[in-house]
Amino acid sequence: MTAAPVAFPEAPPAPGRIRTWLASPIGAQVTAIVVFVALWQLLTLIAPRVPGPVDVTQFLYTEITGGSHGGIITGEFWEHFAVTLRWFSLGLLIGFVGGLLVGVAIGSSGLARSLLNDTVLVLLTMPAFVWAFLTTMWFGISWRAPVLTVAFVAFPFVAINVAHGARAITPELKNMSNAFEVGRWKQFRHLILPAVAGYIFAGLRFAIIVGWNAVLLSEWFSGQAGVGFRTRYWFDANRYRGFLGWVIVFIIFIVVLDRVVLNRLQARAFRWRDPIEVDMELAEIEQVGA
Amino acid sequence: MTSVAEAVSEGQDQANVLRTAAGSRRRRYLAVVLGWLFFLGVWWALSALLDSEARLPSPPRVVEEMRTIFEGDFWTQFWASVIRVLTGFFAAVLIGTPLGFVMGRSKYWGNFLQAPVVVAGSIPGLTYAVMAFVVFGISFWGPVAVVGLIAMPYVAINVAEGVRGVDRRLIDMSIAYGRSESQVFRHVTVPSVLPFIFAGVRLSFSLAWKVGTLTEVFGASKGIGFQIRRNYQLFNMPAVIAWVLLFVGFMLLLERFVLVRIERRLFRWRQWEQHQ
Amino acid sequence: MARVDIQRLTKIFPPPLKGGDPVTAIGDISFEIDGNVFVSIVGPSGCGKSTLLNILSGVETPTSGTVAVTEAGRPARLGYVFQDARLLPWRTVLDNMLYVRDDDGTDKAARYLEMVGLSHTHDMFPGQLSGGMQQRVGIARAFSVEPDLLLMDEPFSHLDAITARSLRDHLQELWTATRKTVLFVTHDVVEAVQLSDRIIVLAPGGRIFDDITIDLPHPRRAADPKVATQQAEILGRFEEMQPASASD
Repeated sequence: MTAAPVAFPEAPPAPGRIRTWLASPIGAQVTAIVVFVALWQLLTLIAPRVPGPVDVTQFLYTEITGGSHGGIITGEFWEHFAVTLRWFSLGLLIGFVGGLLVGVAIGSSGLARSLLNDTVLVLLTMPAFVWAFLTTMWFGISWRAPVLTVAFVAFPFVAINVAHGARAITPELKNMSNAFEVGRWKQFRHLILPAVAGYIFAGLRFAIIVGWNAVLLSEWFSGQAGVGFRTRYWFDANRYRGFLGWVIVFIIFIVVLDRVVLNRLQARAFRWRDPIEVDMELAEIEQVGA
Repeated sequence: MTSVAEAVSEGQDQANVLRTAAGSRRRRYLAVVLGWLFFLGVWWALSALLDSEARLPSPPRVVEEMRTIFEGDFWTQFWASVIRVLTGFFAAVLIGTPLGFVMGRSKYWGNFLQAPVVVAGSIPGLTYAVMAFVVFGISFWGPVAVVGLIAMPYVAINVAEGVRGVDRRLIDMSIAYGRSESQVFRHVTVPSVLPFIFAGVRLSFSLAWKVGTLTEVFGASKGIGFQIRRNYQLFNMPAVIAWVLLFVGFMLLLERFVLVRIERRLFRWRQWEQHQ
Repeated sequence: MARVDIQRLTKIFPPPLKGGDPVTAIGDISFEIDGNVFVSIVGPSGCGKSTLLNILSGVETPTSGTVAVTEAGRPARLGYVFQDARLLPWRTVLDNMLYVRDDDGTDKAARYLEMVGLSHTHDMFPGQLSGGMQQRVGIARAFSVEPDLLLMDEPFSHLDAITARSLRDHLQELWTATRKTVLFVTHDVVEAVQLSDRIIVLAPGGRIFDDITIDLPHPRRAADPKVATQQAEILGRFEEMQPASASD
């Protein structure tokens, strides 16, 4: 028996397309950015020493296209950026390879774990600026300082994540594939690699984020060239629009790199898992030290 | 259990289980000791190899420096840093929790605040430290603001997560028994969200303290960060390493022991939970 | 002793998928319950049993029709037992008993806890109890507020058969001692016959298929042949109903 047709209350008229877009996730984020810039501009009215978004954008335009800032020679933007990227990549490579080796050792051998885990933990807890100081004390004004700062800072993050990944290959899975007499290469490709790849990638991603921070710190303190050096140059000259301009450059670089590129790649590597769980697990690994 | 032989063998089984449990605990302590011996050993060997106090002072040299520090004003410096960090985390919880509630309850605000919160997480620490110095100068509030700003997104995101995950069935039960909205908030929502607040603090702990210390490097007249910078400028390598190790040791102890203990006490009821 | 008066109650849910049909959970049913009786609502899944309880407890609102749950003219006080115990995991057993009270009736709470044999757990957390024990606490909690009407939503369906049997006995003890008005939802006919004075049978689509009175003394033992005979007879009527209604 069906009841007499029930009329649901009339749905309210659909909101205009603009309102729908505004309420959507992307719309909300764009609104947030717009609000932030507006607030920033307002801030300059209260604190006139703080350069506003317009000033900073002007500065950046001049700096990047190679004009002159009212008599001060422009900073050879691309040259400095390239220098920083070179040091960053080299240090990252060293830290990543080292972390990979130690991480695999810790993950697969109980003895290696006992010996190395606490050392890695100590290195993990050391603030990046300490490495910037130490390398400057060791090498003075040299390319070795920023490169090794990045390496030392990135190394423990890679090691810890790789170790965790290596341990994710449970004996049960190994037994299962042995029971089915799966060939060694197949085992590697389908069992070990996918399980570990995600963690290796996560370690690399952490390494990139902290490594970028590290290279900036080292350049700031050891003062030879690069993005960090230029930032300090403008800061020391009390020209805050220049300082903020370079700050924005390095923030945009890492935010774009991380959120647009690395995020997607990590999701692919971990696509058999729930993304929120993955983020939380990775944060825990770093905190608890595997 | 009929015969004496069976009783004895069961007793032996139980003893074996206890023995292996104690054995594995002993083995774990052994592993920790081994790890530290390895660390000290490699350090000592390296320092002997380099044979230069400016390059790598030996462990005994650093210990001697630590003793000097302790006889000096270690505790003043130490407490200065700790107070700043504690205040910062307190602020982070104070601001991040209501923020997280809003984000968790409303889809729109969740998305709106997602962008700045996420960006805040990617900003290099150098930015925070220098900006704090520009805004606050040499002050107590610089490191506090930085610690607060760094920890706050973690707290907000975790609280949002917790708010979204409050068990609907417990709320239904409360409605069925005629509990008021404030009762539901106090007895169901708050206890559900509390562990998430704690998780937010725990996850950001290490990072927030590191950047807070960096802020002290720029804008403080006392504190651990200040001491490290001072000795760096004096090129006093043993002192730099001594302060760094003291800092690291303290952080590890705090994370491993204090935080874990507090969490266990606050959430005693969770140890018997089978599922989340 | 409560009075439940349901007249032409209908509950329709909006279609779960866009462009689909609305779902009629309850279709124009009417019945009355009066006095200290144990009434069961029986039916297969999808016949609206849980929806009915949700409407009675105020969690859902009817689409049309009236529902009146009164005790001597005023709104009745309700007790509710769910399929899962629904205890606050972060409070002790005793605190859980007190949470649902408006007064500070510690002794009352303790007394009911003792009636189900769980006095020793008053200081423990729900996580330390087994599923059956948690459910027992849930039942004690419901009885302890001394409700006018006790709603029970398939309270034993998540338990193993042995525990369920034992809990049914506990329930009968409590009920014969306190003689509340009980509305008990279940898909298990056999259980309904053992426990109730009256069985209301709902069919898929939410309409009343049958209204059966059971005239046996309380408490009833599952092994009692008279109980078994009734169970067999009513099961037979159910077998008639199944092919008669459209399969869901």
